[in-house]
Amino acid sequence: MRVSFLACVAIGLVLGTTKPSPAAEKKSYTFGMIAKSQGNQFFEAARSGANAASRELGSKYGITIKIDWRTPNEEDAQKQADYIEQMVLAGVDGIIISSSDANKLNDAINRADAGGIPVLTFSGDAPASKRFLALGIDDFECGKQTFIELAKLLKGKGIVAAIDGNPNAANLQQRAGGFRSAAKAYPGIKLLDIYYHKETPQDAVAKIEQVMQAHPEITGWGLLGGWPLFTEKALNWPPGSILCVAVDGLPPELAYVRSKHVQLLLSQDAYGYGYNSVARMIERIHLKKKVPGPIENTPLTPVTLQNVDAFAKNWDKWLAK
Amino acid sequence: MGRSKRELPARLATIGALLMSPRLRSALRFQESGLLLVILALATFLTLFSGRVAMPVFETGPDGTRQRVFTTDAAGDRVPQSIEKNKFLNAQNLAQLAKDTSFIAIMAVGMSIVIIAGGIDLSVGGIYALASVVGALVLHHYGPSGPAGSGPPLPGIALGTMAAVGTAALCGLVNGGLIVTLRVHPFIITLGAMAMLRGIAFVISKGQSIGGFPPAFRGLIRYEVGNSLSIVPLAVMLLVTIAGSIFLGRLAAGRRVYATGGNELAARFSGIQVGRVKLSVYLLSGLTAGIAALLSIGYYGAGSSGDGQGYELNVIAAAVVGGASLTGGKGSALGAVLGALVIQMISSGIVILGIDQNYSQIIIGAVVIAAVVLDNFNTWLASRRLAGRFSRR
Repeated sequence: MRVSFLACVAIGLVLGTTKPSPAAEKKSYTFGMIAKSQGNQFFEAARSGANAASRELGSKYGITIKIDWRTPNEEDAQKQADYIEQMVLAGVDGIIISSSDANKLNDAINRADAGGIPVLTFSGDAPASKRFLALGIDDFECGKQTFIELAKLLKGKGIVAAIDGNPNAANLQQRAGGFRSAAKAYPGIKLLDIYYHKETPQDAVAKIEQVMQAHPEITGWGLLGGWPLFTEKALNWPPGSILCVAVDGLPPELAYVRSKHVQLLLSQDAYGYGYNSVARMIERIHLKKKVPGPIENTPLTPVTLQNVDAFAKNWDKWLAK
Repeated sequence: MGRSKRELPARLATIGALLMSPRLRSALRFQESGLLLVILALATFLTLFSGRVAMPVFETGPDGTRQRVFTTDAAGDRVPQSIEKNKFLNAQNLAQLAKDTSFIAIMAVGMSIVIIAGGIDLSVGGIYALASVVGALVLHHYGPSGPAGSGPPLPGIALGTMAAVGTAALCGLVNGGLIVTLRVHPFIITLGAMAMLRGIAFVISKGQSIGGFPPAFRGLIRYEVGNSLSIVPLAVMLLVTIAGSIFLGRLAAGRRVYATGGNELAARFSGIQVGRVKLSVYLLSGLTAGIAALLSIGYYGAGSSGDGQGYELNVIAAAVVGGASLTGGKGSALGAVLGALVIQMISSGIVILGIDQNYSQIIIGAVVIAAVVLDNFNTWLASRRLAGRFSRR
């Protein structure tokens, strides 16, 4: 039995020989898409945008576009680099990635580029690599804007703290840097610290509770990532008693605006990242256009009590099944 | 082309004769043959169903760099040349598979030794992170942008290697020392160490990713042969497997590991210094995590405190799939490597076959269980064969 089994392997080995491919005009494209972690609505929205772009642009140009989604369960740049290498060998036409650690991805991105496979980053750039375009926000400015908006709400006086997720993520470090930088211009506001936490809602909430136990005098919070707001009743203070500005505008976060626990959300265009990633790929590969780059930043959308319901309607489309 | 067609029946006949040989058939009766069959089954399946891929053709330019080869089409446009290959069964993909397997496989050899001795090491991910960060800090110091970047690269590479591997070995030794002296279950000690070591890595790296290593170090780890095949991780994995196999199978120290894991009390009464055995197995586990970390920072070009997150479970899974018994006394270095290979083949196969990632965890879990069941069945068959042989005598 073993021998016959191994004979099958031998036949497989023979079938694995090579032959030259005929040159033909491409009618279908496969783009590998690698986000930072699974189960995150931000990246699910980006994926949804990429799929929508595939359908719309595919129909517009008479081509088939497939999104091959490969994302580590938890943030793992090594795994992302492995996915890039595996996708290159699997014959994808382009790679869209949100980098967890740019240093670790440079070689894999450069190698894909050398093999003729264009790479685009979104919400997590690898600036030293040969990616042709980086979609995202200016994270330093985002951190600054978060503090400035919080300072406006506090009328220039108070004690504030901030939380941030993965301390190894370059974009979050940038936001923290911007937040601290802006704080220097407001002498009436004392910045206690920026606290890091594991990127789960539970850990984020636990961190806020710990800090509030130790510093009940806090009057304002800057949430540089929205993780605590992904759970219900994360903020255990009467609405409006502590003022809060958070980055991102995912569906669970909107409830905190409605309950007046959060006065302002600064939302990234997660859906647009996915949509525009595919659009830029098609412009470059299929339409043979020169895509301006290498940085394409998008502004943050403010979400307040006044526009929260209108903004919420977007998510029906962005997280469409 | 015609010649290769004529050669095909001859090639098949040669392979067939090789498979029929009594020597190979007897070799397949060794301990890990069940796993080998699983690997061969997966390889056959992936070869037959993966389809074909057009891979770019490269050549070495006059300046020594790799360049894509272009041809001119009928319209006079330059078209990049490509060769169609089987998606799974091509040299680049197999080298990629070996590289992806190597980091977990190397650690799985160390983990197998710990498990055989009746222990468990949950801190390998933390050790991996700390060794990555310490090695990266030293190598960065001697890198192009580091303070000692202008000097010769060799001392920096040697120091970086010693720092990464030495730190990891020291962590393993401390783990073993605490387990032996405090007589606390290894699960508790290594669970604590897992968090502590990652915390230390975070503090000393200030949460930053550290890159900028001497190019000679990167070039060494990423050394390629043929058509850009990275062989260093594979070579190191083979060396660690051979060393682990010799230690467990040929040395008295290895037999003492089996004896301790099989029955600690009996081992103690038969004069084995169980404490020393335990110390040595955690040292070896730390050492293999350090080697994997060194390879990783060399290959990927950076180290951070987030490295190796969750790897302890992958490493334990590889060791267990490879035949290591969590009750101790059973397992092998080769089994651990084959176990890691099975898991990686499934993971890579999911990408190659374009299966929706949402199903990947289900498939990996199911195949891991199937691999263990098949291996157990094979062991049971082997023991029946052995019993039958003795009863005939």
